[in-house]
Amino acid sequence: MKILSLMTAVLVGAVLIYGTLDMPKWGDPHSPANTHVSPYYLHHSLEHTATPNVVTSVLADYRGYDTLGETTVIFTAGMACILLLRAGRKRRGKGDV
Amino acid sequence: MFEFIVGHYNYWMYVGLMMIGFYAMMAKRNLIKKIIGMNIFQSAIILFYISTSVKKGDVTVPILEHAHDGHGAHAVDIMHYANPLPHVLMLTAIVVMVATLGVAVAVTIMIYRRYQTLEEDEIIMSIRRG
Repeated sequence: MKILSLMTAVLVGAVLIYGTLDMPKWGDPHSPANTHVSPYYLHHSLEHTATPNVVTSVLADYRGYDTLGETTVIFTAGMACILLLRAGRKRRGKGDV
Repeated sequence: MFEFIVGHYNYWMYVGLMMIGFYAMMAKRNLIKKIIGMNIFQSAIILFYISTSVKKGDVTVPILEHAHDGHGAHAVDIMHYANPLPHVLMLTAIVVMVATLGVAVAVTIMIYRRYQTLEEDEIIMSIRRG
């Protein structure tokens, strides 16, 4: 079983490394990720949102609804934790009695 | 060839880190070790994304300089600031990572309370015994 997992990990790693051979070089300022969409935000975020921090303006303004949904994710996870731990405590209490 | 290795070895480091986490998730029997593997896996993805935002040269964090002077808005040199979008997306991914970690640890605590062990094979034995 361990050998099988190791073989799977090595195989997937080899495929991923094969995929990185076409990636742009590290720190290349002309890579597609750095030239395609992000210049728009760097150019316009100050006049659109009046915030010098571009990360903040994208997170809280352009993607504001996404951040709102993220709070739902955190809320759901917190509720799941609370319900799980409370249910466990109650069941164990019943078993002890 | 040497230039190619220098330009790409960071990706190979992330692949290695990711596969360490993947192996831990598959092969380890202890549930806490599986959760640690999941965290290593997610951290490798986050490092990979952050590394795509790097630009070599005279680059700082994506906070615009002279933003409040009144004349900074029109002359933004994009080669002077790191790419902000991977940072934003990974902020979202970190939130999801924390949420999954919390739920996973809560479920693990429940399993420990029910079976008094965290070893997978012992849990399966306990279930088979009924």
